[in-house]
Amino acid sequence: MSTSSSATDSLPSSAVVLAAGEGIRLRPLTANRPKPMLPAGTRPILEHVLNALIDARIDDIHLVVGYHANRVRSHFGSTYRDVPITYHEQETQLGSGHALLQARDGPSGSFLLVNGDQIIDHRIVEAVSRAHTATTATLAVVEGPEAVDYGAVHLDGETITELIEQPTASDFRLFNAGVYAFTDRIFETLEALSVERGELPLTDAIQELIAEEAHSVGGVRTDHFWMDATHPWDLLSLSRELLARGWVDAPTVDTDIYVAESAHVHPETTLVGPVVVDSDAVIEAGAVVGPYAAIGESATIGSGSVLNDVVVDTDTTIGPNTTAIELVAGQGCEIGAGLTAGGGPADVILDDHVYSDVDLGGVIADRVDVGGGATLEPGALIGPGATVGDGVVVRGHIDAGSEVVR
Amino acid sequence: MCGIVGCLGRGEDTVDVLMDGLRSLEYRGYDSAGIALGPSMDVLRKSGELDALAEVVDATGPTGTYGIGHTRWSTHGPPNDRNAHPHTDEAGRVAVVHNGIIENYAELKADLQATGVTLTSDTDTEVVPHLIAQALDAGADPETAFHNTVDRLEGSYAIAAVIEDCETIYAARQGSPLVVGVGENCTYLASDVPAFVEHTRDVVFLKDGHRVIATADGYTVLDEDREPVDVDIETVSYTAEATGKSGYDHYMLKEIHEQPTALRQCFSGRSDALEGTVTLEEIDEIPQPNAVQFVACGTSYHAALYGAAILREMGIPAEAYLASEYALSPPPVSLGTLVVGITQSGETADTLAALRDAKSRGVSTLALTNTVNSTAARECDHAVYIRAGPEIGVAATKTFSSQLVGCNLLAEELVDGPRDLRPLIESLRNLPDDVQSILDSSAAEVLVEEYADSEAYFFIGRGTNVAVALEGALKCKEISYEHAEGFPAGELKHGPLALVTPETPVFAVVTGDDERARKTLGNIKEVQARGAPVIAVTDGHSDAAEIADETLMIPETDERAAPVLANVQLQLFSYHLADALGRPIDKPRNLAKSVTVE
Repeated sequence: MSTSSSATDSLPSSAVVLAAGEGIRLRPLTANRPKPMLPAGTRPILEHVLNALIDARIDDIHLVVGYHANRVRSHFGSTYRDVPITYHEQETQLGSGHALLQARDGPSGSFLLVNGDQIIDHRIVEAVSRAHTATTATLAVVEGPEAVDYGAVHLDGETITELIEQPTASDFRLFNAGVYAFTDRIFETLEALSVERGELPLTDAIQELIAEEAHSVGGVRTDHFWMDATHPWDLLSLSRELLARGWVDAPTVDTDIYVAESAHVHPETTLVGPVVVDSDAVIEAGAVVGPYAAIGESATIGSGSVLNDVVVDTDTTIGPNTTAIELVAGQGCEIGAGLTAGGGPADVILDDHVYSDVDLGGVIADRVDVGGGATLEPGALIGPGATVGDGVVVRGHIDAGSEVVR
Repeated sequence: MCGIVGCLGRGEDTVDVLMDGLRSLEYRGYDSAGIALGPSMDVLRKSGELDALAEVVDATGPTGTYGIGHTRWSTHGPPNDRNAHPHTDEAGRVAVVHNGIIENYAELKADLQATGVTLTSDTDTEVVPHLIAQALDAGADPETAFHNTVDRLEGSYAIAAVIEDCETIYAARQGSPLVVGVGENCTYLASDVPAFVEHTRDVVFLKDGHRVIATADGYTVLDEDREPVDVDIETVSYTAEATGKSGYDHYMLKEIHEQPTALRQCFSGRSDALEGTVTLEEIDEIPQPNAVQFVACGTSYHAALYGAAILREMGIPAEAYLASEYALSPPPVSLGTLVVGITQSGETADTLAALRDAKSRGVSTLALTNTVNSTAARECDHAVYIRAGPEIGVAATKTFSSQLVGCNLLAEELVDGPRDLRPLIESLRNLPDDVQSILDSSAAEVLVEEYADSEAYFFIGRGTNVAVALEGALKCKEISYEHAEGFPAGELKHGPLALVTPETPVFAVVTGDDERARKTLGNIKEVQARGAPVIAVTDGHSDAAEIADETLMIPETDERAAPVLANVQLQLFSYHLADALGRPIDKPRNLAKSVTVE
């Protein structure tokens, strides 16, 4: 081995990715898989996260899995893009700090930690890697109005002096983007805390580090792309952002039109970019697909359908003459002919909380059967495995496995 | 059937390279193992799993800069230290590892004994080092001694030998697989690529009759007349990590969960849903056969039963034969008969023998296999790949599912005539998600709690579901060691019904609602009348779920696709049963992954 002392030699080469959580606010889409496996465009969110890590030259990935762990394992197997993956099981989800502890035997020395359900530009990862020199923990700091949701930080030069978990609105603009670098000392801190508490968020450990020793937690400002999906309709904006950036895994056939080689697109079809059609998908004659349509692997779009601003996940069939705007359809759905989902805005009720003016035509969870001529009123949510009969007008929420007839 | 490894040019890593290689070949057999190292000529052998050998290695610290290794599955003599490979001559100058059977070993042994040689093992292999030693004593140089010995061997073998004072491995292939790995200043030999794929992906696939003289700097391939042969170096695509367990408890469970992906890969690019056509480019030009004879063993034979059934439905005379019986009682063939060998590994000796027999009778042959460049793929006139990816668990799971899809593609490609395949294509495209939905929600694990201490398990079905019933029973016995039998449902009353009691749950595979399904319902009542609990594996079309005591549901689909789904439920039951009983699921006793002896 050479003894070159270039900067890259000392950068962390291992990363821990937290992918054990369900993502409760994304129900009913998470019935069969954890949030990191929900579609961002046509690929799981987690695939984009791993892409960012590998693009940032990480060559050793540790995935902490829990909720529906087999879905993660069977998708990625033992390697992704030739980088080996080691799995660590978190049997009960007791917070992000507890999740990280499950990977204690994984990385050696300094390592990166990212969330498996947040899309990040690989340059954020690189920035954190480079900034992680003298501190126990280094985290990426992003500026934006989301501080209210994600917890604000006080950044003094390159040092984090305070984490504020529930900031009062608008007081703070800097927040923690959930991309960290740690030395292995973090594990000792976490273990000391875990003895005392049941639930163990990572932020508790970072608070502890700040309290124990000044300058032990560093922060690095970044303005690269960072995006999270909190609610089911966020999958639409996530898909739009990815399509606009061309972060899709299919070859370009024309500027922002991406079609996999194994897809079958009828010559009399109009694809309006940005649009992606993934492998083995079928687009029948006369369909108009896009702008902002993500058609997943082995999905079928029936003839004459008009789709814009949609995410159609793997193996779902959309019948002929469907009109769908702002629609999220999960995996393995059978949608009959002539569905109408005219798009938002809508008031959506989720867990007794009303979200006003959401741009959402509807959400159809995995393996839903919809008969011919059904209509989704804006904001409709259909639970997994539900059956909706011919001509039904769907309003509000339909429970998992239920059957609705006109 | 055993696994062979060898390496040169790895210096002090030699022992680790050999042991890692053996570990990746454990699926080929594991009742004993051993290594031989040069130039020290240290030989270590141990019965039991590889860990037993690893302990001996740790304790004794053998040294060497090149060597050979072996993991054994007994064909001659019980698994004990004495019968473990490598075998040596009396003076320990020659060490040999061998996979296969030397058919004339009794004769060779008698010759050796006549000259005063003492053989210490029960194996056929041991004659080889003694013959090489005799040739050396007679003044031959090491290479000539090796050639002279191989010339005398009859049967099937892959052999590797090291000889004192030569930094060389001598190897030969006849009927058992052997590949060469080409590294930078190092050379590898093995029965199968995974043994060295973490070191190099550049591989030479040897053919029968080839001999290899390998050194750290390179290798020479010779034919039986000792003339050099030109060979191609191929680069294999799969990585060492692709054979890891990905955090699953067992390879078998991993492979069960990989089925959606495997099925997608099998079907991808081979259909046009818009046109309603299926195309297998590999065999695009084959004319429609007059008759099809499938030859296969074990799980692959069950796929063959299914393949023959669907071809018959399409009007083509088709039969499935057990490969080990085929050549002994060969069915008549005519011009226009196609013989299809189904073999996951492409190295199954019985299937290869049946295909060779067919070829010798002048009919065209086709291999339906998972292994690119396997012997079956190279020897047959045509090869169709099922693209399931590496399968390590001894009990076949994902490759069976992919074989069933492969049979559909094969049948649709072979049989001429316009027909609308869109419904079939739709159901095959839906298969990955349908399998996934079973994986997401199967009740099989819960059923195990109820039935884990039963006396026996029976599996019944009709039509294409006969294949599922037989496969369900085979999986159950292979990994759980519980008594399990599968029958065509109508056969029960002709004998096996005598075994049915309240302590023998019966799995009834009932899909669709045709006459076959209705008749199977009658058979369900038949066994219920004897007090047996019935578990219906059903799509809900018939009344099976209402009549049965328990159900394992599968999604509604086409009748061609339903057997794939029903089988997944049975895979899960067998897996969880074996797990509950604490069986070594990936390495069941007495079994090995690919059976390269007849």
